[in-house]
Amino acid sequence: MGVIDLEGLEVRLGNRTVLDRLTGALQGHVIGLLGPNGAGKSTLINTLLGFHRPARGSAHVFGLDTYRERAQIRGAIGYMPENDSFIGNMSGVRFVRYMAELAGLPAAQALERAHEALFCVGLGEVRYRKVNTYSLGMKQLIKLAQALAHGPRLLILDEPTNGLDPIARLRMIQLIKDIRKEGSVRLLISSHLLTDIDETCDEVLILKRGRIAALCNLEAERRSNRSFMELETVGATEQFSVRIRGLGCECACFPGGRIKLVIPDHIEARDLYVIASEQGVQIRRMNQRRDSLEDIFLRAMDHESAGPANVSL
Amino acid sequence: MSVYKRNYRAYTGKLTPAWTRIFVLARYGYAEAWSSRITVGMFTLSMVPCLVFLFAIYFANNPVARLLLGLRPQNVLAINAAFFINVLAAQSVPALILASWIAPRLITFDLADDALPILLSHPISRFGYVFGKWLALFASLSLVTWIPALLLFAYQGYSSPQPWALSHLPIAGGMVAGAVIWIAFLSLLGLALSSWVKWRVVATGAIIAAILVPAGVGGIVSAVLRTRWGLLLNFPYMISLLWQRLLGVPGPFNSKASLPTAAITAMFTLACLLCVAMLYARIRAREVVRG
Repeated sequence: MGVIDLEGLEVRLGNRTVLDRLTGALQGHVIGLLGPNGAGKSTLINTLLGFHRPARGSAHVFGLDTYRERAQIRGAIGYMPENDSFIGNMSGVRFVRYMAELAGLPAAQALERAHEALFCVGLGEVRYRKVNTYSLGMKQLIKLAQALAHGPRLLILDEPTNGLDPIARLRMIQLIKDIRKEGSVRLLISSHLLTDIDETCDEVLILKRGRIAALCNLEAERRSNRSFMELETVGATEQFSVRIRGLGCECACFPGGRIKLVIPDHIEARDLYVIASEQGVQIRRMNQRRDSLEDIFLRAMDHESAGPANVSL
Repeated sequence: MSVYKRNYRAYTGKLTPAWTRIFVLARYGYAEAWSSRITVGMFTLSMVPCLVFLFAIYFANNPVARLLLGLRPQNVLAINAAFFINVLAAQSVPALILASWIAPRLITFDLADDALPILLSHPISRFGYVFGKWLALFASLSLVTWIPALLLFAYQGYSSPQPWALSHLPIAGGMVAGAVIWIAFLSLLGLALSSWVKWRVVATGAIIAAILVPAGVGGIVSAVLRTRWGLLLNFPYMISLLWQRLLGVPGPFNSKASLPTAAITAMFTLACLLCVAMLYARIRAREVVRG
């Protein structure tokens, strides 16, 4: 059982099919949700929260049906919406306490957790100010605080870095990493910013026109791509390449002493330096690159195939 | 998650039962309603008629006080069902004004700040949300209607030289039932109209207009068509007829000014259903996309 299981999920709004037969199991600790505008990201989040009834198929969160058992699911979820959504004439601490009580915390614990959550996100000093006096960045943070206060099992963040300046964005990313590190909360992050997803997520679901364009385990991708290497050398490149082929590397030579190679697991970069030294070759540059999330995203966007694709490199 | 450590910690404590979340909404709604000085001022003013009725009961039961003021017994109100109808009628006006002031505070703030996605992402249904807000408004209106009316009834029972309260218990029951119907209707109407108007002042005006304008239209219909059925649009008049029947007071002598109880009940039910439909259409976590 994954965190989120989609089984032929189809959601229609009016006559329009917004989510079209989504199937897949999301098991990552931090799941990224990517896609261009109108791909169905927000609709998927709303469906997981039980706001939309699937026209066909089903979605499960922690094994619970998102529509039939939505009350239980909502109790286990913390939701940070994309747009401004709060009660402006309440103080920060009162608002977070209110949300925590609605999530099921007794009044005293809710108050305690509200203070803690506000300090956790960095709003401790302004917690008695009315929410409508907060800046945009502070409003994002208080949405996160209210989503965290009741200790959810799944935290859904819809565009968490929307409208934040670079410093606030870095703080938000760091907060997400801290929450991830704590270990008790799974995260689903929807964002347009690939770097945000790349920095925080270990699994990514890419939607396109309501369908799954790619479902990819970023951790596995990172591991598998560690062996892809580009070298810039000076000296007897041909002999050097013959030697490293002898180690079991796949190797391609290019003019100007450039070599691209895929190294097996048992070969270290140090072995290459040893051979280069023996051959009298200078390694001027060594670039150990992996496929970026951007590559994965663009490739997924290029694919017109309807079915869910597990992206591999 | 300690405040001084400033890091996240999971919550492992106990949770409240799901059905109690409605009372969280009601409690916060009630606090929001009474956080305004205007609400407190309105409440204070609404107690003025109660004070007048209190003195009336005092003089009706105290011959010495009557003598001191030179009041003759025939100038003193009789404390009976008709007296309590007057209490209800007097308190129904501040109830309407208070409802038109409080209801927008309960709903309009949430809508103006687009708080519904966050509120409804918690384990609370749309029905639970509306019911919680309705409870907050109902409780606030109770403070100016059946609660002071019952206190006046109790005071009359206490100050009457003869045993009075037990023999007049149906009056108390009728008062509570009549007031509950009126404020339940006002609460629903207030929330429904507030959910469709984002500006609080406009919502306040809309609630008062929703009671007074149909009454005027109904009067015109009755006069032009020479029928009594136009009175079905006059909610204050219909509730006063209902109160008379609940408290056992004879109705109007003119049959053209009377309406069957079934028609009154049907009209209130219809209005309530319309309010529910308005709330159902408006209280959503997301806008409904058509097409």
